Amino acid sequence: MRALHRPAAALATALATASCDRSSVTADARTGAEVYAAQCASCHGPSGEGVAGLYDGFLHGTLSTAALARVISDTMPKGDPQACTGDVAVRVAAYMQGAFYSPEAYARVRPPRIDLAHLTIAQFENSVADLVGGFRAAAPAQEGPRGLQAEVFDGRDFRRERRKVERIDPGIAFDFGTNAPPGSGAGSAEFSIRWRGSVLAADSGDHAFRLRTGNGARLWVNGEAKPAIDAWVSSGGEVQEHHATVRLLTGRAHPVRVDFFKFKDRTASVVLEWKPPHGAWAPVPADALRTASAPEVTVVTTPFPPDDGSLGYERGTGVSKAWDDAVTRAAVEIATHVAAQADALAGTRANAPDRSAKLRAFCGRFAARAFRRPLGEAETAAIVGATFDGAKDPEAAVKRAVIRVIKSPWFLYPELSVARDPGRRTASRLALALWDSLPDDALLRAADAGQLADRGQAAAQAQRMLADPRARAKLRAFFHHWLETGRAADATKDAAAFPGFDAAVLADMRTSLDLFLDHVLWSEASDYRELLGSRRLFVNDRLARFLALPPPPGPGFVLVDAAEGDRAGVLTHPLLMTALAYHKSTSPIHRGVFLTRNVMGRALKPPPEAIEFKDDRFDPTLTMRQKVEQLTKPTDCQGCHAVINPLGFSLEAFDGVGRFRRSEGTKPVDTAADYPAPGGGTVRFANARDVAAHAVASPDAQRGFVQHLFHHLVQQPAGAYGTGTLESLRGAFVGSGFRIRGLAAEIALTAALHAPAPAAAGQEL
Amino acid sequence: MTATTRREFAKRLGLSGAALPFVWGLPGLASPAAAARPKQRLVVVFSPNGTVPSQFWPDADDGPLQLKRILEPLAPLKERTLVLKGVSNKVRGDGDNHMRGMGCLLTGIELFPGNIQGGSHTPAGWARGLSIDQEIRNFLQRDEATRTRFGSLEMGIAVPERADPWTRMSYAGPNQPVGPVSNPYQVFERLYGRAKDRESVRSVLDGVAAELNAAAAALGDEDRRQIERHMAFVRDMEAEMSRPDDAGLRHPMPPLEEGVAVDNDTIPKLGRMQTELLVNAFANDLARVATLQYTNSVGQARMTWLGIPEGHHSLSHDPDGNAESQEKLTRINAWFCGEIAHLAGRLAETPEPGGDGTLLDHTLIVWINELAKGNSHSLDNLPFVLVGAAPGFRMGRVAKFDKAAHNRLWMTVARSFGHDLPAFGNPAFCDGGALALG
Repeated sequence: MRALHRPAAALATALATASCDRSSVTADARTGAEVYAAQCASCHGPSGEGVAGLYDGFLHGTLSTAALARVISDTMPKGDPQACTGDVAVRVAAYMQGAFYSPEAYARVRPPRIDLAHLTIAQFENSVADLVGGFRAAAPAQEGPRGLQAEVFDGRDFRRERRKVERIDPGIAFDFGTNAPPGSGAGSAEFSIRWRGSVLAADSGDHAFRLRTGNGARLWVNGEAKPAIDAWVSSGGEVQEHHATVRLLTGRAHPVRVDFFKFKDRTASVVLEWKPPHGAWAPVPADALRTASAPEVTVVTTPFPPDDGSLGYERGTGVSKAWDDAVTRAAVEIATHVAAQADALAGTRANAPDRSAKLRAFCGRFAARAFRRPLGEAETAAIVGATFDGAKDPEAAVKRAVIRVIKSPWFLYPELSVARDPGRRTASRLALALWDSLPDDALLRAADAGQLADRGQAAAQAQRMLADPRARAKLRAFFHHWLETGRAADATKDAAAFPGFDAAVLADMRTSLDLFLDHVLWSEASDYRELLGSRRLFVNDRLARFLALPPPPGPGFVLVDAAEGDRAGVLTHPLLMTALAYHKSTSPIHRGVFLTRNVMGRALKPPPEAIEFKDDRFDPTLTMRQKVEQLTKPTDCQGCHAVINPLGFSLEAFDGVGRFRRSEGTKPVDTAADYPAPGGGTVRFANARDVAAHAVASPDAQRGFVQHLFHHLVQQPAGAYGTGTLESLRGAFVGSGFRIRGLAAEIALTAALHAPAPAAAGQEL
Repeated sequence: MTATTRREFAKRLGLSGAALPFVWGLPGLASPAAAARPKQRLVVVFSPNGTVPSQFWPDADDGPLQLKRILEPLAPLKERTLVLKGVSNKVRGDGDNHMRGMGCLLTGIELFPGNIQGGSHTPAGWARGLSIDQEIRNFLQRDEATRTRFGSLEMGIAVPERADPWTRMSYAGPNQPVGPVSNPYQVFERLYGRAKDRESVRSVLDGVAAELNAAAAALGDEDRRQIERHMAFVRDMEAEMSRPDDAGLRHPMPPLEEGVAVDNDTIPKLGRMQTELLVNAFANDLARVATLQYTNSVGQARMTWLGIPEGHHSLSHDPDGNAESQEKLTRINAWFCGEIAHLAGRLAETPEPGGDGTLLDHTLIVWINELAKGNSHSLDNLPFVLVGAAPGFRMGRVAKFDKAAHNRLWMTVARSFGHDLPAFGNPAFCDGGALALG
């Protein structure tokens, strides 16, 4: 349908006032809904669901109304973009936002369903580590002594009969000067030391290691075959720095070993430092070291394209060429790694008479473990038999079989693989929810014995699984996602406004948050109320000084009362305050948006127009609060900012790096505000502690938290598991005393035991 | 060598088309003289533990080259061989003769004091300067006309997986040893990408596609569409992989035999694989400098393929009077020479792409040894043998010098590349300038 040409005057009435000119016969007075129905629905469907062959897919996204209007104005309707421009486009965009386009509206209109999902990056790398790991010795528990097992030898050859000392060292940072290690009895001109144990990673990713020594040393990290650093030769008597980067997986212990020797060098010293993904250079701390060694962990290093984050949490939905390529390259990487160790993994030797049979059997077990179920005969013949028969030699066959298994949909799409076996299906879902990985042998045995059909027994398995380091890692990742700590990565601050802030302080903040999360989550109570309401904070010397707190009573990080200031658990944690702030100041708007969406559980539409905050546009004597109030005064903004602002202002007592303050410049800080409750009426917040108390007490906020955790653990919309599910989980959470670990278990069980609806023709999972 | 057609060239060598692997299909071969400056290349081949002087040195210093048993394999290339008498490694300082024989051989400069103790002398660290192969590499890479993708290739055969002064002869600078890669599959991967794995991936795509089909069958519309998108990528990959792997290369990649173990007994096979990779790399102009390091200083390979079970280094310490050991050492060194002759032969068989003659016409092979004789650890009168061609070098004879420092040989080699060095390594050993090899 062709639009009528409109005079230019009408185009100027963009955000129309009441006095629009209706005298022109060409003014378009239809509502946005009417325009949409007339001009857009023929391709996009009456509710944005799309029309096969014309526009395949739901129309949704995160553009602001103004940006969406510009897209419509410039490009739509297709083939006749002049037909909908200016204020008409704005009306259509506004209608679409509310009806189906924005994430909130989209979630409302599209019936929530369990989408087909492949493994996310975390699930892929964890599954691979456990897939290969299942053929190695079991890893030791991580509760053992911290530090490294040390042996000091007389002489440079690590000879057992000349071993002088066996002890535990908290790390490797020694300067022996011209002497032997004190109290060892070794010769000062010639001695050797061996340190052994394992190293843990708080986050998965590349860990840079630095070995500083003027003597001879080698470092092995997660690989016995070849040292990561080979600095055996000291040369010219100067201390040299040697570097290596190793990818480590969180939730796992990786074997580590350092051999060190002095021979006729004048002095001796050795320091082992690292820089983890979110850390700064520092000696590897005892907290990250265990004296018990561990078997090698198979860590995939192939880079993957990011997971789909369009719904606000990571999912394995959608395939792309980049993803398929990455899977293929990773498959080759894994196959090369497995083939090189095939004899050890298969329990055979190079010249064993039954080697071929053992390797075949290994490939069969490898596939079954990867697919989370036993293989049928035809499958075994195709994956193992045909591959071995067709390959030049057994090593090539092993390599091909592994590539085949990793690229198989039965590995990549867990739900598809176990669809027909309820026990295995429950096991697979529990392992993904709590570990982002494959089920272990104990879980598979329980599944095959039919135990997982019984909720009580399944719950007992969930409890067992929660005690595993992989569950800790997954929950820690949830909190970092929920608290949006990624915004703080590489944060820099104005040196004049925040003197002393640097990478080391930032790393300390992250450690402080991690320790606090661990402390709350893994205590007996695992209490959400403590998470939001605690006045206490983990600090070390440096962080305490930076935050103007008294020095901690002990070495390292200690949990102290942050007596001054009304701290409220994670909500006022320095890392968060730093992340949700500008270079020179706080950002009440970012903090307010975070609290609104993540903590209060309220939906927020994208802003009609995204406006940048430019500090120099304001009267410099105003406080930040005053500036924000001025900026967001227009009625159109107040729709959301009436909610956002009071929440943001409550945190103004904590500056852009999380220090408590009573005044900003010459003016006192004002944290009191009125907050409009979702159902109506207002609540008075005096400060952040009131916000925290409200978040704990409000059913909407409780439901929001439950939903966030649900999405992270299960990676499917909660609504797809039944309309009452979220509410019943909330009720159980509150009834249990806000026990977070309990909630995690309940969520995992809900997803794991969910039975598919009776199949109709074309019904999805 | 004048321009020639492929057929004439083959006839001249007495070779039929079938005997020349991978040579055909080169663009521009038949066209006469290239416009560009002729290329020049260097290959340094290392073998350890000294030679057997009585079976090595030609008797006459003048006249046509007479080859004794050890050098006999070079007979077909006699005209292109140059044997140097009287060139010595004069570098002293820290480290025993093996360590200095290795670390000062290509660098011409002392080792740092350090913590690695040899059989005698003081403990030492790494060399104090860069090696001649890296010096020439840097020179060639600086100029766009001679720059190649890799510059240089450091390759090894059965070099132990340790970094110490016995396993490293190349240095990018003081304290910067460059390690050779002994695994031909690793070399292949570096040169030609993951082409070798493509075959493995290609072989599984059918099975994966079948499984995706089975998976899609039980699904509803929306989910099935996702699986179908996934299947489309698998099909695309299959189509992509059926195109030839070496599109874009002047010279085809060598097919490597699969599944060759990297251990002592496969040394001959590994050596040939590395040689093939080197010849191909030159033909594709991926590099113009290379080192080929057989084992290491004090290398203890057991030449089982020659029926010799004892370790090389152990044999090299038997006295001159032990005839049996001397016989074995002669056969070992003759075998090394044979491998070098094979490398030279392969270069001679391969036409110079875009230029005239063969690869050997534009390549200088230098066979070096850490020691003159194993049981005396002598560094005097080292057995330097040059094969091939270089501007300003007259081949097919003996060139005799009187205790000339080997630094000066490296200055000559550099000059043949157009790189005039006033000194190389420790300047104290450079008096007299480059050796006259013309």
